[in-house]
Amino acid sequence: MAISRNNLLAAALIAPLFAVVVASFIVPLAVTLWTAIGNPEVRETLPRTTAALRGWNGSDLPAEAAFAAVAAELAQAQESQSIGPLARRLNFEEPGLRALLLKTARAKDRLSAPYRTSLVELDARWGDASLWRLIARNAAPLTTLYLLRSLDLTLTPDGKIATAPADESIFLALFARTFVISFWVTVLCVLLGYPVAYTLSTLSTRWANVGMALVLIPFWTSILVRTTAWFILLQREGPVNALLLGLGIVDAPVTMIFTRFAVYIAMVHVLLPFVVLPLYSVMKGINPAYLRAAASLGAPPWKRFVRVYLPLTMPGVAAGGLMVFMLAVGFYITPVLVGGPEDQMVSYFIAFFTNQTINWGMAAALACLLLAMTAILVVVARLIVPGFRLGSVSP
Amino acid sequence: MQSKFASTLLALAAAAAVAVSGAATARDLMIVGFGGGFQDNARKHLFQAYEKASGVKVKDDVYNGEMAKIYSMVKAGDVTWDVVMVEAPELVRGCEDGIFDKMDWSVVKKDKFIPGGTSTCGAGAVLWGLSLFYDQTKIKNGPTTYAELWDTAKFPGKRSFRSTPKGTLEIALLADGVPAADVYKVLATPAGQQRAFAKLDKIKPQIVWWKSGTQPVQLVGSGEVAYAVGFTGRTVRANAENGDKYPLLWKTLLYSVDYWAVVKGSPNAKEGFKMIDWITDAKPLLALAEDWAVSPANKEAAANPKIAVKNPGMLSSHVADGLFIDTEFWVQNGEDLEAKFNAWVAK
Amino acid sequence: MTTGNGLALGLRTFTAIVLVFLLAPIVAVFPLSFSAGELLTLPTPGYSLRWYDDFFTSSKWLLATRNSFVVGIATAILATFLGTLAALGIYLGRFRGKAFLVAMLATPMVVPVVVTAIAMYFAFSFVGLNNTLAGLIVAHTILSVPYVLITVLATLQTFDRTLLRAAATLGAPPPAAFRRVLLPLIAPGVATGALFAFATSFDELVVAIFVAGPQQFTLPRQMYAGLREFLSPTIASAAVLLIVCSLFLLAANEYFRARGKARTAPDDPAEPN
Repeated sequence: MAISRNNLLAAALIAPLFAVVVASFIVPLAVTLWTAIGNPEVRETLPRTTAALRGWNGSDLPAEAAFAAVAAELAQAQESQSIGPLARRLNFEEPGLRALLLKTARAKDRLSAPYRTSLVELDARWGDASLWRLIARNAAPLTTLYLLRSLDLTLTPDGKIATAPADESIFLALFARTFVISFWVTVLCVLLGYPVAYTLSTLSTRWANVGMALVLIPFWTSILVRTTAWFILLQREGPVNALLLGLGIVDAPVTMIFTRFAVYIAMVHVLLPFVVLPLYSVMKGINPAYLRAAASLGAPPWKRFVRVYLPLTMPGVAAGGLMVFMLAVGFYITPVLVGGPEDQMVSYFIAFFTNQTINWGMAAALACLLLAMTAILVVVARLIVPGFRLGSVSP
Repeated sequence: MQSKFASTLLALAAAAAVAVSGAATARDLMIVGFGGGFQDNARKHLFQAYEKASGVKVKDDVYNGEMAKIYSMVKAGDVTWDVVMVEAPELVRGCEDGIFDKMDWSVVKKDKFIPGGTSTCGAGAVLWGLSLFYDQTKIKNGPTTYAELWDTAKFPGKRSFRSTPKGTLEIALLADGVPAADVYKVLATPAGQQRAFAKLDKIKPQIVWWKSGTQPVQLVGSGEVAYAVGFTGRTVRANAENGDKYPLLWKTLLYSVDYWAVVKGSPNAKEGFKMIDWITDAKPLLALAEDWAVSPANKEAAANPKIAVKNPGMLSSHVADGLFIDTEFWVQNGEDLEAKFNAWVAK
Repeated sequence: MTTGNGLALGLRTFTAIVLVFLLAPIVAVFPLSFSAGELLTLPTPGYSLRWYDDFFTSSKWLLATRNSFVVGIATAILATFLGTLAALGIYLGRFRGKAFLVAMLATPMVVPVVVTAIAMYFAFSFVGLNNTLAGLIVAHTILSVPYVLITVLATLQTFDRTLLRAAATLGAPPPAAFRRVLLPLIAPGVATGALFAFATSFDELVVAIFVAGPQQFTLPRQMYAGLREFLSPTIASAAVLLIVCSLFLLAANEYFRARGKARTAPDDPAEPN
């Protein structure tokens, strides 16, 4: 089997991009997945304790060696300033453990052999076997905790799956909210975009070009600029309120900024061109002969629309709609700038866990789930719209 | 035509490469703060003054308290910030996480600080506070305590709080009648936490949350909200610029200390400690206090009577009325309460 | 057919309203950037150029502008180079699974930006590429390359292979035919791809939020910081400048598209326009 010269050349041409995509995109995604399930803190900070716990059967309490090891290693970790990640990890699993770990670390001088008694004297929790089981369990290199928490589940100290406490269970609701908002934005975009695309497709070339240019201008304007514009317009003392007051529609300024309404308006504004453009291109391609044939067969206008035109435009609707939905699901900037805390979507929390709480595990877990959902959408899209490619949107 | 195109391409690429690499050469000492009027004045009286005194070039920048950048810098071993201003619990946690260097007390003189003004990894910079305010040109008699702030019948309009549990949960408990001395004891219990969230639930639809220090004054100024709990320094400044519109209700004060810390792995660490020692001295702080209402963590500066008279915003004269934000409490319970708060606020 | 006319009128009015909705916010930014007041409110209390002055004298905004152009141009060059090469390879090669390969190389378009951003942030933190211009350029290249790839592939699809054969019969060896026949004809398509890559990088914000440090802030990143922090009408001037840049890019894109259309067979009956 000789690889033709053509294909060798082709491979050489494709290789650079392929290498860059793998190194700078596929590998980082793999790193993210690893971050979502990685569990290095206990193993790295408490190696001797981990070793001492290896032979333990899980009931009663571990041997003196484990107690001695944990006392020494916690003190050592505090001295070398490496106790933070361990404290954060275990505290995330079981609130209150940070305080325990730090207290134990700082009490180094007051602890002495036999550590089995002195540690329990310091704090009764050290005499609780379930704490030790938790530590032993987290010596494993992988964990499902972050993924579970992203689905409002958690692990009990003994390692069983349970529902997370109600005051921390927001993620399922968050995913639901993300999909609901994206769905309604898509519906609105299609409802608004369809008539516009149709009208533009019926205009003379000159006017159609003008119309398309007017659609392209916002398309080429950055999302941030457009969202900022809405941020300004929807202020209490901004022009929209001024207009409403001037027209007498309301008596007092309406709060529009930082509300769900603002998120919808801004998102529809940003995503509308993504529906108009493919629809226009599909509609331009529809042969008017079909409609004339239907008319000559006696079909009234509404029937011509419903039975002939609409089905012909469905690929455009599906392509545009799916594109809008997928973009909406991953939206970050618009809800952050114009929405309130109750309007934030999954992407906000991914950013939050990365930048604010420094819980990379949760950020990565949410990102992986979001990616999985998007992947499912793409598969569904392929099934519904044959030949669905994202390259089908041409400006 | 092809060769011309190719040579233009190469020239652009070369220019880009030079521009990119130029950004990574040896750098000046970088000190990062929270911005606002404090930093503008600190730049003049502390950073540039130190530059003049020591000959070391100093650059400054602003951040929003987001620790992630510092964590990622330290982790990557490419530290571009040398000295950072940090709030107390973030300092302690950062110290435990190993992203701040232990303060070099041989360079920075420990005994010049007020009690509570030093920490393992931090040297006290200034006190800062949160307090309630509103526009008294628009509202004649506004609420004067947190309990009154919850009375939406008597005091209609929106309220604005900081979008963090620290500072907000305490206010809720104070409004619910918990005496200041017991606030943290109550907040440490699950029942106490639920009580705070329940209290906040009562006015949640009226709350507009702020994230950045400039927002409270802007929100009240534009009429977006009627009452806000914001940084006292910014409120004092707004009063100085716009006439005394915002009354400073000292009985609603919550305060804490901001520290200077050196980022671990900084190539300018030694110089950083020297700078910290210099900018926490009484003389530069007194000069700063002439232009901006600060409450220095330096004993001598804080005790200087001239400052208290000149700056009504001087926190150390009002701390008796206020509630000290308990650092240790927030170090231990911060992560947990932040998770609960974020879940609650996003509902 | 009065109902028909009524319907047509109704549709056109509706379309006009929607177009106004699409453009009004963008237009509204212009007067705001000339506001004499300090708060972000319309109508503006008087007019002045102070915010443009603010912009052009502020080291922060100038650094952001410089960074935006440096990163944008570098991204455009890198993405166009890699994407065009790959597109040519896919076009020339004879193998199965082309569609799969294109889909794989285009995955950055499908993945939500925030996931890409955070993936790069985590990965870069291990190799020290965070808070560097190089890292930002790499990230933006990844985001833009799919557009270049798809645009150039589409252009290649309209390219008439017989022209290459004609060049061969006229005695031109394949590399020369390539250089002097293929490349010039696809140049407008490549240029469009390059423009798209530049525009993508120039307007990009989410990745910059994670990967860029204060010294690498681009214009959108600086605007974003301004919106959360300083809230002055300087942001509006920056927005106006960004809009003007977008208009240039749009005009350039249309120009290249028109040229591209003119270069392919103009009397091809399959052309819809």
